[in-house]
Amino acid sequence: MDTLTLILLTTISPLACFIIAIIFLVQQPRAAQGLVLFGSAVSLLSAIGLLAQGPVEPLRFLWFQSGAIQLQFGFILDGPSLMFGVVVAFITACIMLYSIGYMAHDPSKTRYFAMLSFFAWSMLSFVYAVDLLQSFIFWELVGLSSFFLIGFWFEKPEAAGAARKAFLMTRVGDVGLFIGILLILQLVSNFDIPSLLDPQTGLSTQVSPGILNAITLLIFIGIMGKSAQFPLHTWLPDAMEGPTPVSALLHSATMVAAGVFLMIRLHPLFMAAQDTALIVLSIATFTAILASTIAMVDTDIKKVLAYSSISQLGFMLMALAAGSLFAGVFHLITHAVFKALLFLCSGIYIHAYHTNSMAEIGRSGGRRLKATTIGLIIGGAALSGVPPLAGFWSKEEIFAQLGHNGFNIYMAGAFLAAFLTAYYTFRMIFLITKPDQAPASDHSHPEPLNMKAPVLILTLGAIALGFFGSNIAHGLGLIPQHHSVILMIPTVGVVILGILIAYLDYGRDNAPRTGFISKIAPLNTLFTNKWYIDEVYRVTIVAITHALSRILHWIENHVLDGNYDRFGLGILRTGVKSTRIQGGWMQLYLGWAIILLAVVALYLGLQ
Amino acid sequence: MPLLSSILLTPVITLIILLLMPQKAVRGIRLICALSGLLTCVLSLQLWMGYDPTSGGIQFEEIIPWVAAIGISYHLGVDGFGVILVMLNSIVYFTGVLTMWDLEDRVKEYFAFMVLLVIGVFGVFMSLDLFFFFFFYEIAVVPMYPLILIWGSGNRAYAGMKLMLFLLAGSALLFPGLLAIYHHAGLNTFDIIALSAHTFDPQFQIFVYPFIYIGFGVLAGLFPFHGWSPTGHVAAPSAVSMLHAGVLMKLGAFGILTVGIRLLPEGAAYWAPTFVVLAVIGIIYGAYVAMRQTDFKFVIGFSSVSHMGIVLLGLNLAILGPVVIDALNGAVFQMFAHGIMTALFFSTAGYIYDKSHSKTITDFGGLGKQMPRAVSIFIVAGLCGAGLPGLASFWAELLVFLAALKTYPIAGVIVILGLVLTAVYILRVFNLAFFGAPNPKWENLKAQDMSGLHLIPRAILIAVLVIFGFVPRLMLDLINSTTMAFLGNF
Repeated sequence: MDTLTLILLTTISPLACFIIAIIFLVQQPRAAQGLVLFGSAVSLLSAIGLLAQGPVEPLRFLWFQSGAIQLQFGFILDGPSLMFGVVVAFITACIMLYSIGYMAHDPSKTRYFAMLSFFAWSMLSFVYAVDLLQSFIFWELVGLSSFFLIGFWFEKPEAAGAARKAFLMTRVGDVGLFIGILLILQLVSNFDIPSLLDPQTGLSTQVSPGILNAITLLIFIGIMGKSAQFPLHTWLPDAMEGPTPVSALLHSATMVAAGVFLMIRLHPLFMAAQDTALIVLSIATFTAILASTIAMVDTDIKKVLAYSSISQLGFMLMALAAGSLFAGVFHLITHAVFKALLFLCSGIYIHAYHTNSMAEIGRSGGRRLKATTIGLIIGGAALSGVPPLAGFWSKEEIFAQLGHNGFNIYMAGAFLAAFLTAYYTFRMIFLITKPDQAPASDHSHPEPLNMKAPVLILTLGAIALGFFGSNIAHGLGLIPQHHSVILMIPTVGVVILGILIAYLDYGRDNAPRTGFISKIAPLNTLFTNKWYIDEVYRVTIVAITHALSRILHWIENHVLDGNYDRFGLGILRTGVKSTRIQGGWMQLYLGWAIILLAVVALYLGLQ
Repeated sequence: MPLLSSILLTPVITLIILLLMPQKAVRGIRLICALSGLLTCVLSLQLWMGYDPTSGGIQFEEIIPWVAAIGISYHLGVDGFGVILVMLNSIVYFTGVLTMWDLEDRVKEYFAFMVLLVIGVFGVFMSLDLFFFFFFYEIAVVPMYPLILIWGSGNRAYAGMKLMLFLLAGSALLFPGLLAIYHHAGLNTFDIIALSAHTFDPQFQIFVYPFIYIGFGVLAGLFPFHGWSPTGHVAAPSAVSMLHAGVLMKLGAFGILTVGIRLLPEGAAYWAPTFVVLAVIGIIYGAYVAMRQTDFKFVIGFSSVSHMGIVLLGLNLAILGPVVIDALNGAVFQMFAHGIMTALFFSTAGYIYDKSHSKTITDFGGLGKQMPRAVSIFIVAGLCGAGLPGLASFWAELLVFLAALKTYPIAGVIVILGLVLTAVYILRVFNLAFFGAPNPKWENLKAQDMSGLHLIPRAILIAVLVIFGFVPRLMLDLINSTTMAFLGNF
C-alpha cells in the first residue's frame, strides 16, 4: 500500500469508529466495542506498515490561506513520528483490549470506547502532524479527550472536578504555547515543521537568540501544562479519578507524552535556545525530585504511579534539554510501556479489591493474582532502572548525557530522583506483596483473560525493549554510543540503595512499615501535603479570579446596569410627575396661566 | 428573478401567506415557515457557490431607482462578507423555526414577527443604499419587542423595554450620523458605493465616526452599552434569542464595517485605539461577569458580550492598516462562527428550559445522566465558545489574536489569556449543571431527552461548526478576497 493510504488508515480509522459509534451505536455497546477495537487494530497495523517502510518525505496539502499566511496540513514521516506512532497505536490497542474486561459492566460503554477512539485519533494525528498549527489543534483535542475520559464518571463530583482541573491547567499552559506559535507565525509566516527546523534556513537562523529564547520558553509553558511539570503538574494526580485504563493511556503514550513529544519534534529549536534549555533542565530536574518525594509518602497506588509519571516525564525533558534526542525518545518509549503495564496491574487490583490503598491491596491478598503481581514487579523494576530491564537502559542514557555535557548539579539531582524512584517503587511492591497481616480468605476472582493478555504483552515489552536502544537510535538517524561499564556503576548503585532502603522500611520481616522520611517530621509533612502547591493556588490565583469576577459582577449590576436603570426610571418618574400638571383641575391651569403671564409681563417690563 | 431579491422576497412572501392563513392552521404555518427557511438556505448556498472569489468585490448587484429626488434607490449587492452573513441568517432562520416547532401559543403571530425580523436582517446584509440599510435595520430591531413581551419569560416587560430603549438610543445616534454623511458628501445620493468613492473631510470623519460606531455598536454588544443584551436574551423565547445573538448582533458589527469603516476610514483610524481598548475590556469583562451568573442564558448572554468583543477588536485592528488582513478575516469569520454557536447555545438551553421550566444552573446537577443528548449538544456549543480547535470559532479567534499580537502585543496577550477565563465559566456551567450527582427532581426528564425532529436543527448547527472548524478554507477563500479588495480601498 502506498504511504498516503497507510497514514490515512492509521489516523482516520479511529476517527471513523468514533463517529459511527457515537452516532449509531449508543444502544449497542457490544458492537461499538468491537468496532473500536477493530479500528484500533487497523490503525496499529498501518502504523507498523509505515514504520516498516521507513522514513519518507513529508506529505503536505494546502489547508488555507489568509493574507500572507499559508497553512498546510500533512503528515511528517520521520524517525520520531514513525516509532512513536506505533507505540501510541500499540498501547491504545492493549488498553482497549483490557478495557473490555475492566468496563464490562459499565452502562456507558459506547461513550467510553468512542472517546478512547477519539483520543487515539487526536494523539496519532498530533504525532504525525507536519505543521505546527496542525500539531496545536490536535494537541488541544488530546486535552479535550482527556477531559472527557478523566470525567468519564461525571456523576462523581470528584471526577468532574478533576476533569475541569486538568482542562484548565493544561489550558493555562496552552495559552503560552499558543502565543509562542503565533509569534513564530508573525516572524516567518509559515508553520511547516521541517522548514522551521532547517539548520540553514530555519527559524533559529532568522531571529535573534533573545526572541528564540522567548518563543521556546512560551512553547515550554505549554509542555509544562501537558507533561505536568512544576508548577502546572497538580492536575495529573487528580486525573486518577478517571477509569484506570484511562489513567494508563493518559500517563504512558498519550496526553502527558504529547508535551515531551512536542519537545522532541522541536528539539533543534530548543538546542539553539541556550537559556531555555537551561530553564527546562532546571524545572525538569526539580519536578523529577518533587514528584518522587510525594510518591514516597502517598498511600494510593494510582497516586504513586501518577507522581511517578510526573517524575519520569521530568527525566525525559532533562535528557532532551541536556541535548540528547535519543535518550529522550528512548525513555519516552520505554516509559510508555512499563507505565502502561503498571497502571493496568493497579487496575486489576482495584477491580478485584475495590480499594486504591496499597496496604489494603496487600492485606486483601494482592499477591495471589499471580500474573498481575509478576507484571507489577517487572514493571516496577523497569521503572526503578533495574538492569537489564527497559528503564535501566533508557535512564542510563540520560545519566550518560548529563555527565557528558558536564551538568553536574543536574546529574546529582537526577541521581537523587532515581534513588527515590527505586525507593517508592519498591515500597509499593513490598506493600502489596508483603502485607503486615496474613490475607483473609480469598474471595477474589482470577483476572479475566482479556485483562491478563495486555499485562503479559506489556511485561514482555518491559523486559525486552531495553535491548532495542540501538534500533531506536538508528531510527532517529543517530549512531548509538556504547557506554563503559564503569559509568553504569553509580546508576545501578542508587537503584540498589533505593531498593535496599525500601526493603528495610517495608520488605523485611518485622519491618517498621513507615518510611525513613517520617523521622524528619517537617519534610514528611511537606511531602504528605504535596508541598502545599494546591493550597498556594487556592489562596492566590483561584482566589484572585473569584474576587475579580465578584467585583466586576457587582459593577455590572450596580454601576453599569444600575445607572442605566436609574436613568430610565428617572425619565419615567419625571413623566409621571409632569402629568400632575395636567390634572384637569381648572384652578391649577388658571394659576399656571397667571404665573406665566406675570413672567412675560415682567420680562417685557424689564426691557 | 435576481438571486438577492429572491432571497429577500422569500420571507416577504412567507409573511404575506402567514397573514392570510387562518389562526388555527398551526401545522400549516410551521410547515410554510420551515419550507421558507429551507428555501433561503438553498438560495444562500447558490449565492455562496455563485460568488466568484477570484474577482472579489461586490457581486449580484441590482439597482432600481426609487426616490430619484433625494437619491434613494433599491440597490442590492453582496461582497464576500455579505454572502457569509446571508448564509448565517438563512441557517439561523431555518433552525430557529425548527427549534420553535412545539410552540402552541399564538403561533401565527409569533412566526409573523419572526419572519419580519428575518426580512430586516436579510435587507441589511444586502442593501447598498444607506436609506434602505437603515430602514431594514429598524425593521429587524422592532419585532424584538413584541416577541419578548408576548412569548418571553421571566421579567419580560422590563427586558423588552430595556432592549428597545437601548437599541432606539443607538438608532438615535445613527440617524443624525447617517444624515450628516449624506449631507456632507453633497452627492445627493444614499448609495453606499457612490458615497464610499467620496473622500470626506478628516475633521468631519473624526466627529461623525463615534456616532456610527456607538450607534451600531450598541447592537453589537459594545462595552459599556451591552446591558440590554444579556437581559434581553434571558427573557426572550429560544428562537428569538437565537436570532438576536446569532444574527441581530452581527447587524451592528456589519453596520460598523459597511457604513463606518468603509465610508469614514480616517475617522475610524483615529478612534481605533480607543475602541480597541473598549473591545479588550469587553472581552475580559464579559468573561468575568459570566463566571458569576446563575442563569444559563445570562452566562451565554455575557459570553456573547465577550465573543462579540473579539469581532469588534478585529474590526478596529483592521482599520490600522492593510498589514492586518487577518484581523478583518478573523472578525468576519467570528461573526459567522459566533452566530452559529450562540444559535446552538440558545436552541439547546431553550430546550432544557422548555422541558424543565428552569434556567437556574444550580437547580440542576448531573443533568448529563438525565438528558445525555441535550447536554452533549450544549457541551459542543460550550467547547466552541472556549475556542477549541476543530470548531469554527477557533480560526476566527486565531486570526484576530494574531493581528492583535502584531499591532498591540499587550492587548493580544490579554485577550489570549481570556481564553482561560472563557474555559473557566464554561466548565463551571458543565460542572454545576451537567456533571455531579443527578438531581432526583429531574428524573422525569429522562423520558424527554431530545429526539427525532428536535435533533435536526442542532445537528445542522453542529455540522456547520465542525465543517468550518476543519475546512476553514471554504469560508476564508471568500472572506480573504473581499478583505483584500476592502482594504485596498484605503
